Amino acid sequence: MTKTAEHTELRQDVQLDRPWVTLVWDDPVNLMSYVAYVFRSYFGITPKQAERLMLQVHNNGRAIVAKGNRESMERHVEAMHGYGLWATLAKVDE
Amino acid sequence: MSEPRRFTPHESGVLLAQFEPIEVDLLRLVTSQLVDLLEDGAADLALAHSDGVFGRLLPDAYHDDDEAAAEFRRFTAPDLLERKTHNAQVVLSTLAAELHEPDPTSTADAADEERQPVTISLDSDAVQAWLRCLTDLRLTLADRLQISPDGVVHLAGDDAPFLRELYEWLGMLQEELVYAIDV
Repeated sequence: MTKTAEHTELRQDVQLDRPWVTLVWDDPVNLMSYVAYVFRSYFGITPKQAERLMLQVHNNGRAIVAKGNRESMERHVEAMHGYGLWATLAKVDE
Repeated sequence: MSEPRRFTPHESGVLLAQFEPIEVDLLRLVTSQLVDLLEDGAADLALAHSDGVFGRLLPDAYHDDDEAAAEFRRFTAPDLLERKTHNAQVVLSTLAAELHEPDPTSTADAADEERQPVTISLDSDAVQAWLRCLTDLRLTLADRLQISPDGVVHLAGDDAPFLRELYEWLGMLQEELVYAIDV
């Protein structure tokens, strides 16, 4: 995981600063109340912010829940998968 | 007439949960099946990477990069499967530790006792395990029910109505649990 990230960055050193994002996708299984709970308990945001983010997932099909370097986005995605949420990471401009 | 609450916070900090015996049996059954499934996946990661149900339990972390998705899965799947198995085992062990166990020596009242609701106690770690395990149970059931992205059930056949009811009941249970710890 780390190795690939390093190689990628070496090849694209111009884009070193390009941040990555963690996306959570709408799925037919997870409850809105649970998704909002996961957001506020994992990301430590207020219930109101969590509710807004959850509604973004629900209405738009996805929402950006975090931004940062690739490694920390992978950590968030793994945590979201631990909660049973459908999460991916991507480069910002993709 | 309002039904008694299923989850009640206790002053000691734990959450008390009340279940009918048949609900306990059902939860034990589906959770044991989940443990078997997760252990099969952990024992054979190639299976965990191919089977449809694992696509829901361990989704692709990259949308348009199969190689990166495979690599992410290779690094995270063993640990995620282990934690999911642990969560399911916590559910089983909390279900096994009923607070009002029928007295095994009294055979006369055993039948009556068994019909009484049982109360179990969940500390904060157990609550987390329950929340995640209920999600995993619903994800695996959604796969069996062939639920499409729009939420429509496509499974037909004799099993479908029961599985659907079970799926919805688990959802209700999870929602009640979320509300019970909502502060």
